[in-house]
Amino acid sequence: MIVYIIKRILVSILLIFAVTFICFVFINMIPSDPAEVVLRVRQTPIITEEAIKEVTQALGLDDPYFIRYLKWLRNCLRLDFGVSYINPSRTVWGEFTRTLPDTILLALSSLIIVIIVSIPTGFFCAIFKDSLFDRVVRILVFATTSMPAYVVGLLLMWLISYRLKLLPTSGSGGFRHIIMPSITIAMTYISTYIRLIRNNMLENMKEDYVVYAKVRGLNPWRISIFHILKNSLQSCMVAIGMSIPQLISGTMVVENVFAWPGLGKLCIASIFNRDYPIIQLYILFVGILFVLFNLIFDILQHLADPRIRSLS
Amino acid sequence: MMMWERIKKSKQGLGLILFILIVMMLGIFAPIFTPNDPYKTNLVMKFQAFSMEYPLGTDHLGRCILSRLIYGIRPTLFLAIVTMVGTILIGSLMGILSGYFKGWIDELIMRIVDVMLSFPSQIMIFAVIALLGVNVINVILANIFIKWAWYARMIRTKVLQYREKDYILYSRCIGSSGWYILIKHLIPNISSDLVVLATLDIGWALINISTLSFLGLGVQAPTPEWGAMLSEAKNFMTTNPVQMFAPGVAILLTVSAFNLLGDVMRDILDPKEVIK
Repeated sequence: MIVYIIKRILVSILLIFAVTFICFVFINMIPSDPAEVVLRVRQTPIITEEAIKEVTQALGLDDPYFIRYLKWLRNCLRLDFGVSYINPSRTVWGEFTRTLPDTILLALSSLIIVIIVSIPTGFFCAIFKDSLFDRVVRILVFATTSMPAYVVGLLLMWLISYRLKLLPTSGSGGFRHIIMPSITIAMTYISTYIRLIRNNMLENMKEDYVVYAKVRGLNPWRISIFHILKNSLQSCMVAIGMSIPQLISGTMVVENVFAWPGLGKLCIASIFNRDYPIIQLYILFVGILFVLFNLIFDILQHLADPRIRSLS
Repeated sequence: MMMWERIKKSKQGLGLILFILIVMMLGIFAPIFTPNDPYKTNLVMKFQAFSMEYPLGTDHLGRCILSRLIYGIRPTLFLAIVTMVGTILIGSLMGILSGYFKGWIDELIMRIVDVMLSFPSQIMIFAVIALLGVNVINVILANIFIKWAWYARMIRTKVLQYREKDYILYSRCIGSSGWYILIKHLIPNISSDLVVLATLDIGWALINISTLSFLGLGVQAPTPEWGAMLSEAKNFMTTNPVQMFAPGVAILLTVSAFNLLGDVMRDILDPKEVIK
């Protein structure tokens, strides 16, 4: 067991190095000369040879490739990701930490909605399989897979903000602002988890322990909740945990629809402005997040489920 | 072909295919079906309601919404189809290479596939577009780039499954060349799985491309594209909601049609395992 955990951690460290290397290569693959880009976005009136040379030296762009990677890595560990190309008075790390809390808030509230809605719905779908409720939910689940998040977001905005005048249309500010964006994000994930919990429970219902519990004469509801649901939730929780990074990166589109001042909005703006250091940090962040969450939930699953443990 | 015979028996499948064909025909012959020029602006006529001349009214620049909707089929649907064709070609090539030749080629391709599949697809798309610049061709490239790995893995599994079958061994015994076996025996076996997956993924590609256009990273403004139209309509939501509903409903219907068709075909053809 401990061997397995150590092995997983070592592999993850290697993966994180791979992610950093990809991010470093990414910024060096820009079709134009980075020094020239810096000058152009700072709106230097005339770009001369000397100016390019000066910037090249200031940014350390004339060192050998590998040295530059090591230097860059060292700066990353010090949380120094350079300055924004667009606005040299702002550091990339500063911009990042300014917008990150908003994105995490949004992702977290979506996660709560997903859990609150999908577990009971999936549970009742499995219990009353093929009933009217189950069929209606199945149709709804299918419908949501055909709905792009931005269309759902716009329709909600029109209906709730303009027609019913219940919630503010966009921006951030209080509890009322977060409701619509988080529902929109949750929408795409709810359908996946309803299906997951439903199918997982149906599979568990066929197991021997359920038959045994029935033979013992336990209350059917007790069996459903304390035996079947409990066993199904274990694997679902791992799936939900592993999808948290996806949730955080998935806020991008919805943030733009609702003008939510988070990381995703910053990143899209940076793509337009060709502000590569910010995009680089964003990719680095999401990549590391993925590796870490996969590691944590993989180990948790091993700790929780003896069946998997005996396999490895 | 077997596949077509079976699809023909399903009313639902035929209806969906008919709907998709009608949409495609509308797109191809757009100039015949549209009442007005989709690019012609007329500020005097802006935000018109339904009329004989403008069946769905006009947008904020006085352009005919119906005409733009029909012309919008072209980029929206055809970019999605181009994406899928590219994905299938590259994915199949890699999958077949890897499954058929095995050895170090297989190792190399499968390790690349592993890396590709372990990263979040949405971020990869944005990274590719950020790197290459905002452009329609880059959007297609980005989509192919993140999707081919799924197909490569699926096809490799299939190839491995079939390559030890008796009739292929026999064919090899009587001296058929590798390419002959590939084209005559392997590809027909894989094709039904491929068609199901591709149909389901056209819906995915459609959503992706229109989302990027909505964000302004795909098809650019004056060109009628459903995502871009929604992005424009967003600002006039209060005054002219029809402008928003038309492309929104069009996207929902088209994506649902492809997803439903994929589901129906999966039931009909019943591939034993479907990835994802």
